[in-house]
Amino acid sequence: MGDKITARKIAQQAKVPLVPGSDGAVTDVEASGVADKIGYPVMIKASAGGGGKGMRLVREKEEFESSLRMARSEARSSFGDDSVFVERFVEQPRHVEIQIMADKHGNTLHLFERECSIQRRHQKVIEEAPSSAISEKTRKKMGEVAVKIAKAVKYSGAGTVEFIMDQKENFYFLEMNTRVQVEHPVTEMITGFDIVKWMVRIANGEKLPFKQKDLSINGWAVECRIYAEDPSTNFMPSPGHLTYVKTPGGPGIRDDSSIYSGCDITSFYDPMLSKLVVWADSREAAIDKMASALKEYVVLGVKTNIGFLIRVMNNEEFRQGKFDTGFIERHPELLTAGEVDIEPAIIAAALAIEDSEETIESDKGPQSNWKLLGRKAGLSGGTLI
Amino acid sequence: MTYTFKIKDKVFSVEINQEKDQTVVQINEKDIPVEFEKIDKNLYSIILDGKSLTIGVLKDGKNIQVVMDGDLFEIEAISERDQRKSSQTLSGVQEIKSPMPSRVVKILKEIGDEVAADEGIVVVEAMKMESELKSPIEGKVTDVLVNEGDAVEAGNTLLIVSSD
Repeated sequence: MGDKITARKIAQQAKVPLVPGSDGAVTDVEASGVADKIGYPVMIKASAGGGGKGMRLVREKEEFESSLRMARSEARSSFGDDSVFVERFVEQPRHVEIQIMADKHGNTLHLFERECSIQRRHQKVIEEAPSSAISEKTRKKMGEVAVKIAKAVKYSGAGTVEFIMDQKENFYFLEMNTRVQVEHPVTEMITGFDIVKWMVRIANGEKLPFKQKDLSINGWAVECRIYAEDPSTNFMPSPGHLTYVKTPGGPGIRDDSSIYSGCDITSFYDPMLSKLVVWADSREAAIDKMASALKEYVVLGVKTNIGFLIRVMNNEEFRQGKFDTGFIERHPELLTAGEVDIEPAIIAAALAIEDSEETIESDKGPQSNWKLLGRKAGLSGGTLI
Repeated sequence: MTYTFKIKDKVFSVEINQEKDQTVVQINEKDIPVEFEKIDKNLYSIILDGKSLTIGVLKDGKNIQVVMDGDLFEIEAISERDQRKSSQTLSGVQEIKSPMPSRVVKILKEIGDEVAADEGIVVVEAMKMESELKSPIEGKVTDVLVNEGDAVEAGNTLLIVSSD
């Protein structure tokens, strides 16, 4: 099921809606023929792909050849397999996926959807659960389709069925991820279900202890993937030494990371630093909480996408839930700090120099530890719910 | 103590004065009363105009990195001697440098080729992602310093483009 072409065949047999495209892997000559037939824009995808690697959007015929070469070459170096397929690119799509949990006793459940439309380089950056774009009716239908696909392959464990959805809530099967995904925490936060724990239990032959009707959505969760990368240069990775790390905390804030002051981010792996996840009772409250948690996240030594993530949280279209997978491309202004008041940065720099020369501390007399504690506690968002 | 800071092309003259219970920072002759606390190594809490900010600072020689609301600001502390040096203007010769440790996948231009501004000239790969580096100016490729397949470090010059 991890192979996209096999997955497509299985979905076809299970009569699940599919995006028009090539029937399986294609040669260079066939690929261009398929693209002409289904019409541009088209998507070239690596059969063994994942994480957006080996994937290229082609808007015009002239770009097809070079995009095909890049997709194949990336697929070869990432997955050791350069076979690709071609399909129609759905305009203004949203990426919505369903979390599946299946045991070895024939019980297959879904844990509702995740909204993963905020992407850069076809890789998810911000995810949330539930999705603000789907009706209760579509949610139910999508969940049922996902369960049908998982059952068709007699799947067991945690899996995700990914869909692409247009503005009218028409959805098409994209692929199934036969693993626990990066964004699984948002589902855990709204369902109270520990996905990783149950993966292990299912592998051990245990039975899921509840039925679909026992599950419900509680509140709203948002995840931001914090990367060592530079949004202003097309999200170029920024490996290096993390001199200093300060992570946020507080009620409903979860920081899944392994970074610490003094660690190194090498250029051999994906430059993800952390998955920052927040939970609150409404979407608006969750976004506000994420914005303040991001402001508390201080990483020194490499470039990060934190400033960019804060600007997305404050963006009106994002807040209203009016976005699709082209959101970042349409909002280049979010990539850089823009015209901000840099006086505080200058002041901090001057204070740091004075401090290193130890000319300030001596003038100030003894410090109050209560005051210091207050300042430190003030870091934790300030608002409790 | 007075400092001269350079951020991008802008120069700021900064002075910190301690007055009784108050620290006043003067930026380009403008007085700004500041309340601050160093709350951790590299971390300052600053109250400015009633607004509280948490700012990370990393000092490495004369280069200071400041992180504020997730954005990185690179500040250069200029000594008086540096200030006297005349600033050099950019000529029409641009070095295309690798922004990170990577591998050269494909060189798209040869010596003598014409390039348009923003046209891709070399493809590099790092962390299994390929990126196309673009020419910042319109001109001609005057030198190619690497071969396809080469491993390069951050800052290595790959090609040179000249507008002359």
